[in-house]
Amino acid sequence: MRFDLFFEYFRIYIQTRMMYRIDFWVEIVTDMMFQMVNLAVIVVAYKLTPTILGWSQAELFFVYGFFMVPYSFFTTFFNLWNFADRYIVKGEFDRVLTRPMNSIVQLSFENLDPSSLAGAVTGVVIMYFSAQTIGIQWQLLDLVAFFVSVVGGILIYAGIYLFMISLSFFTDAQTGIMPLIWNIQNYGKFPMDIYNKMIRVLLTWVVPFAFVGVYPAAFFLRRDGLSLWLTPVIGLIILSIALVIWRFGERSYRGAGS
Amino acid sequence: MWGAYGELIRLRFLIMLTYRVNYYSGIVIYAINIGANYFLWKAIYGSNTQLADMTIAQMTTYLAIAWMARSFYFNNLDREMSTEIRDGSLAIQMVRPYNYLMVKMMQGFGEGLSRFVLFSVPGMIVASLLFPVQLTKDPLHWVFFLGMVFLSFLLNSMINLIAGLMTFYLEQIEGLLRLKRVIVDLFSGLLVPLSFFPGAAKSVLEWLPFQAITYLPASYLAGKTINVSAGHVFLVQLLWVTGLMVPLVWIWHSARQRLFVQGG
Amino acid sequence: MSKPAIRVEQLKKEFRVTKPREGLRGAVIDLFNRREQSVVAVHDIDLLIPQGEICGYIGENGAGKSTTIKMLCGILVPTSGTIEVNGYVPFKDREKFVQEIGVVFGQRSQLWWDLGVIESFRLLRKVYRVGENDFQKRLNELVDRLALGDLLNRPVRKLSLGQRMRCELAASLLHQPKILFLDEPTIGLDILVKSSIRSFLMEMNREHGTTIMLTTHDLQDIEALCSRVVMLDEGKIIYDGSLDQLKEQFGGGRSVQVQFEHNTLVENVFESTSGLSATWSKPEAQLDDGKTLRVTLDDVNVPISEILERVVKLAGIRDIAILEPNTEDIVREIYRKGV
Repeated sequence: MRFDLFFEYFRIYIQTRMMYRIDFWVEIVTDMMFQMVNLAVIVVAYKLTPTILGWSQAELFFVYGFFMVPYSFFTTFFNLWNFADRYIVKGEFDRVLTRPMNSIVQLSFENLDPSSLAGAVTGVVIMYFSAQTIGIQWQLLDLVAFFVSVVGGILIYAGIYLFMISLSFFTDAQTGIMPLIWNIQNYGKFPMDIYNKMIRVLLTWVVPFAFVGVYPAAFFLRRDGLSLWLTPVIGLIILSIALVIWRFGERSYRGAGS
Repeated sequence: MWGAYGELIRLRFLIMLTYRVNYYSGIVIYAINIGANYFLWKAIYGSNTQLADMTIAQMTTYLAIAWMARSFYFNNLDREMSTEIRDGSLAIQMVRPYNYLMVKMMQGFGEGLSRFVLFSVPGMIVASLLFPVQLTKDPLHWVFFLGMVFLSFLLNSMINLIAGLMTFYLEQIEGLLRLKRVIVDLFSGLLVPLSFFPGAAKSVLEWLPFQAITYLPASYLAGKTINVSAGHVFLVQLLWVTGLMVPLVWIWHSARQRLFVQGG
Repeated sequence: MSKPAIRVEQLKKEFRVTKPREGLRGAVIDLFNRREQSVVAVHDIDLLIPQGEICGYIGENGAGKSTTIKMLCGILVPTSGTIEVNGYVPFKDREKFVQEIGVVFGQRSQLWWDLGVIESFRLLRKVYRVGENDFQKRLNELVDRLALGDLLNRPVRKLSLGQRMRCELAASLLHQPKILFLDEPTIGLDILVKSSIRSFLMEMNREHGTTIMLTTHDLQDIEALCSRVVMLDEGKIIYDGSLDQLKEQFGGGRSVQVQFEHNTLVENVFESTSGLSATWSKPEAQLDDGKTLRVTLDDVNVPISEILERVVKLAGIRDIAILEPNTEDIVREIYRKGV
């Protein structure tokens, strides 16, 4: 890993953002409001019923807060939602290939988005307050578990989305699958027992978003002591698969050209 | 003139067909969304047979209809527009002998039409098989509903165009557009029917245009609102279409001034 | 002689493209079943370019120029054949290989749109691992040669096309590449910028021995820069050699256009040069005036003075023009007729 390059790209990022200072704040504020709108759904639901399958509102808030942390770290380094359009259709991937740098690292650095980290802060704040309501007694193990699950979550996201953007090497679809996956991702914030078997299997083993949300959060809520430790394992597996697909995709791009 | 607009609709229809992965994934998107929302609500209902003014069966039907309507009224005109403004192709559009806003509307219409025909209808059939959806068999209801969905399309597209025009005033618009999307989804009643909101929120939402996009048409077809007639739904929708016309035209004119000054 | 900069043997590139059906019906059918077709973009070409050469790569749109360049840069992997650039196989060892080449795609920018040019340069310095001292030295040289002094702190989006292209060139040369690939470097530029870019490239080539390969549609680029021309048509090389030879081979020799004082009997003129392997004709543009005739010299060894000496005896001469074959005409002819 070349850290000097990371700082160089980070410098470019800061300079670009500084040119549009107001937008920086607009983005942070809109992002906060985005989260609040999502939380509003939970609030509305609990106005109708005191408990959903035995989960209290504070517990669902806690899961939501946790869910935000790995995701915001992930999007800081993965801001490639328009990868197909920008790099494949418009052909910028050619330029990436003419630089002496690993292509994935280059793409990640070129599109850094550290403002997403605000989401991690919001997430931790939400976790803190809902944990107080629930009355969670923090232990040292929780700190280790938190670190492990956040890193594992990042790996899972990286694996799934790297896999997804690799597909744009093979197909002409511009926007099809990404929003689909993004939608599904948001179902990982809810207890798995509300879903039927099919969706549960989907979220656990196919696109394992349960492992970036409710499974690890359940550890801190003292509902599930085990699943959390599986998070990094699944992350590593899925990222390895994605890297292989990426390899193939890159090869196919260079084989087919544009 | 109208021939040109017709051609734009056809063209967009064809473009939508070109991306077949989009097509297949689109069907899956709708099935999964309806499914996940269904299970979430089933969990919320728990042992209750009725919450607010809906039974679980009505809720299921409501969700399916709401998502079907969404597939028609939803489009990315805002994002497209902001791209066109930023890369300067808006300037090229301006020298063509048609109205740019109309062009965008027509493109959105072609997109909505293709999505509706190609995957809402098949998606709806799949949903009715998987979940206890009870659709009305009265053809008149369906005719009225189609009219309402068309007005929903107009409303949502107008909101999208206004949001897209904001590109003239903000350099980075991505955050705003994302926020707009969740606000429309929530406030229109797609995720939660309006009658489920707490009192204060409900009365605020009733004064906003979003309810006319999803909540009113979907409630009408789901047969929930006995006291709300088709006439009422149409009236509210038409009022909002007229009401949104004012800011849209005004912003468009002031944005054009900016275009001429900035030179795109 | 040292190792060649570029060595290509039997290089072939085949693409698979989908062939969409027409109309709405066709589009629906395409949803379920696609027609595919394979297209050969580059067809078994051989190429040997020694170090320090400037090679022009010409051909009509779609002839396979860009595909070849992309294979040489390591972007595309060939279907078959061998390829060696600067001692590397470009598509293997990509990261090591690209460290020593520079690439400019005229239509696409490698600079950060919103930022001052110098910021992109600083980033590229890190990417290519150029030492601070080397970088400063190199930058000064490039700024001086390309007159970038005032541009360095301006955001790229505020630059004119010509200014931007000069910056693109500088960006691709910061790491002192041994080989420079230019895809349409002068496209859309005005004459002044074009000629300054040309003389800059000549200097780079002369002083640093940079091998340059460029594709272009502007044959003046070729005339000004290239010792070597490779002409491509439908994926095949149809000419490879010097520009002079191209002119000689396809240009139909030199010709002299003579305008007489008075109307002259054509037969007399023809007769006067008999035995000199020179062909007289009436220039198409001046068919009617009866005073102007053109003679084409098929044999390079016939001195023009000899012709004039004989003709001058027939009648007074008002004007003489010696016509060199025009590259553009030659190339157009070749495209039209084939070789």
